[in-house]
Amino acid sequence: MSAGLNLLLVASAALFAVGAFGVVARRSAVVMLLGTQFMFMAGALAFVAFARFGLGAQHSSAGAATALFAGGVAVAELAVGLAMAAVLYREHRNFALDADRG
Amino acid sequence: MPLIGALPQPITSAPFVFFVYLVLILLLGSALASVLLRNTLYGIGAFAASMVLVSLLYLALAPFLLFAAQLVVFTTVSAAILIGLLRSTTGLQASSVGRLSPEWIIGVAVSAALFALLALVLGATSWPVQVCCGLSENFGGALSNTYVVGLAVLAVIFGSAALGSGLLLIAPTLPSPRGGGATTSRSPRGGGERSGRR
Repeated sequence: MSAGLNLLLVASAALFAVGAFGVVARRSAVVMLLGTQFMFMAGALAFVAFARFGLGAQHSSAGAATALFAGGVAVAELAVGLAMAAVLYREHRNFALDADRG
Repeated sequence: MPLIGALPQPITSAPFVFFVYLVLILLLGSALASVLLRNTLYGIGAFAASMVLVSLLYLALAPFLLFAAQLVVFTTVSAAILIGLLRSTTGLQASSVGRLSPEWIIGVAVSAALFALLALVLGATSWPVQVCCGLSENFGGALSNTYVVGLAVLAVIFGSAALGSGLLLIAPTLPSPRGGGATTSRSPRGGGERSGRR
């Protein structure tokens, strides 16, 4: 039993699928934002895995730096998205993105 | 002779493999719970737990600085923003227990003891950081030398996001075309009647 690149890539793909499911299947703006966060995390995890076990290990700081930047961008996206969710709630008293359809 | 040299081997140390598998299983479980739970507060709790688990995975696989950034900055900022949203919209109230009550003091003491234990274990054994060999490169130095432009861009993105979200939150609510908005305004065509279809 070992833990290598394949295991982490499978976990990254599963995490991305969970995030995509949250974005596609749920109507709540908050849950959709959480789904995009999981998709960001999955990409960052794949970068870290390649930096640790793959060809990126020749320059091990590159994958970690990319993961750091991806995390920063994800937090910034979360801040803007939640401000939009707050405006949505102020108008419709609901986090559902299709609340305007009635 | 290979051009790129041998790739790093997978981890075969039994406790370390068990640790990675356990963290991955818990991570996927908490992520699923986060998107499936109907209660938004519980969903946010599961999301924060998954962020902590990702940071634990980084502790085993990536430089220590990435673990610290993920745990201290990203997790706390994300959770604080989400809780702030809930408090400003759905009426989530602050705890009625006073800050100097015995519950808070006991909670802070237990948390401090757990963190001290974690720091002691990490400092004494360097596990699992020590197992993660091949990370001798100074990540902080590489960030400040090689990726200084990326850090500057990240700072600009943070500033823009803070400015944009602040402007969104202080902007007055726009009138809804279906009448659900907080303000009332006349139609641009001159009539006061709402003409939206039901």
